[in-house]
Amino acid sequence: MKVKLWGTRGSIPSPGPETIRYGGNTSCVGVTLSDGSVLALDAGTGIRCLGLALGDEPTRLHILLTHLHLDHIQGLVFFAPAFRPQTEIVIWGPASPEASLRDRIARYISAPLSPVEVRELPCDVSFRHCPETEWEIGPARIRAASVAHRGPTLGYRIDDGDSSLAYIPDHEPALGADLDRLEDDWISGLGIARDASLLIHDGQYSDPEYAEHIGWGHSALSHSLAFARRAGADRTLLFHHDPMHSDDFLDRLGEEAGERWQALGGEPGGVELAAERAEFELPARVAPAAAAPA
Amino acid sequence: MTQKPLELILARNLMSALSTPAFLVDEGGLLVFYNEAAGMMLGKRFEELGTVGAEEWGQLFGPFDEGGEPIPYDDLPLVAAVRDGRPAHAELEIHSADGVSHEVEVSAFPILTAHGSQGGIAIFWPTAANGGGAAA
Repeated sequence: MKVKLWGTRGSIPSPGPETIRYGGNTSCVGVTLSDGSVLALDAGTGIRCLGLALGDEPTRLHILLTHLHLDHIQGLVFFAPAFRPQTEIVIWGPASPEASLRDRIARYISAPLSPVEVRELPCDVSFRHCPETEWEIGPARIRAASVAHRGPTLGYRIDDGDSSLAYIPDHEPALGADLDRLEDDWISGLGIARDASLLIHDGQYSDPEYAEHIGWGHSALSHSLAFARRAGADRTLLFHHDPMHSDDFLDRLGEEAGERWQALGGEPGGVELAAERAEFELPARVAPAAAAPA
Repeated sequence: MTQKPLELILARNLMSALSTPAFLVDEGGLLVFYNEAAGMMLGKRFEELGTVGAEEWGQLFGPFDEGGEPIPYDDLPLVAAVRDGRPAHAELEIHSADGVSHEVEVSAFPILTAHGSQGGIAIFWPTAANGGGAAA
């Protein structure tokens, strides 16, 4: 499984000279499965460049939306494959008692916010509510779990062979909860993150910033590290950078994250900050060392 | 490992911050959490008791009607709320672990989600005669 980060920013696109290295595009992660199938995790503004990179292939794509906040769907109407009649796109997302996934997305892909309507998209597009149980896309097994954020929001786990990716970009698991004390099954998102080869997780706020943003649906650095420690993933990327965070700020935050991760007993490099265009080839899960015989 | 339904997780987090006794059951009617205030009333913290079914709960704490008779499981407000998908309210009596009786009013409501019922919440209030009611 190959992973490429096309947008790592949260909330609003933040282009400019101060965000060149970590990037200004909003959430989008491209995943290439072992059979060549392509998935897009979220459709923030980063999906525009993913679409350009795909060229005319493939003709069948899956887009897995965590939720419908604008920073996760804004790129849909600029996704080139959606404007090719030979392309089939399946958009997965959270159910809501309010309206269907198609109708909720159509509020954005419609006048006056958009020059095109969903029905005018040349591609063959369909919308599916994520099931509660695991399902398959190509060689991958997909699981979605509701996670703590504002409004119906999912996290995803993708298992392909022995490697696995967990993606929880908008997440506030510590809201009213002590992540160091709760049992595993009472922690939002932990079930899909456990032992992943790569965990991509909300890292929007520094600890001092979080104090002013409690309940906004995102994590403080302390929470992200605590969650990563409980998850036991091989590697964790802190994602969904706050639009106010410059490259220099993120450098410092990343340094702090690495130091605190090692202080918690983590491996050097086990926690890093996500940077736009970074690529990862996920190896098979590293099995824990066997205990020495007695 | 599968997480509990998010709605139960969020309910537990909220209940943990309340000073009103509150109880949480899953869709199967299993008591999966109660908060510190409920623990004080029962004389036993949730961490001591753990997850219990209705039968064990009944043996430990009741509840009982005005005549002191055990209230059938199906008639309990929380059971009715989860079963019927509607709020329920009753006055009843429970016995704490140290044998003290508590007359309480119980308001229960189901947790309904896009994926159906995930359980229910019950909040216990002392009856007005026992110090309940609005503050002066």
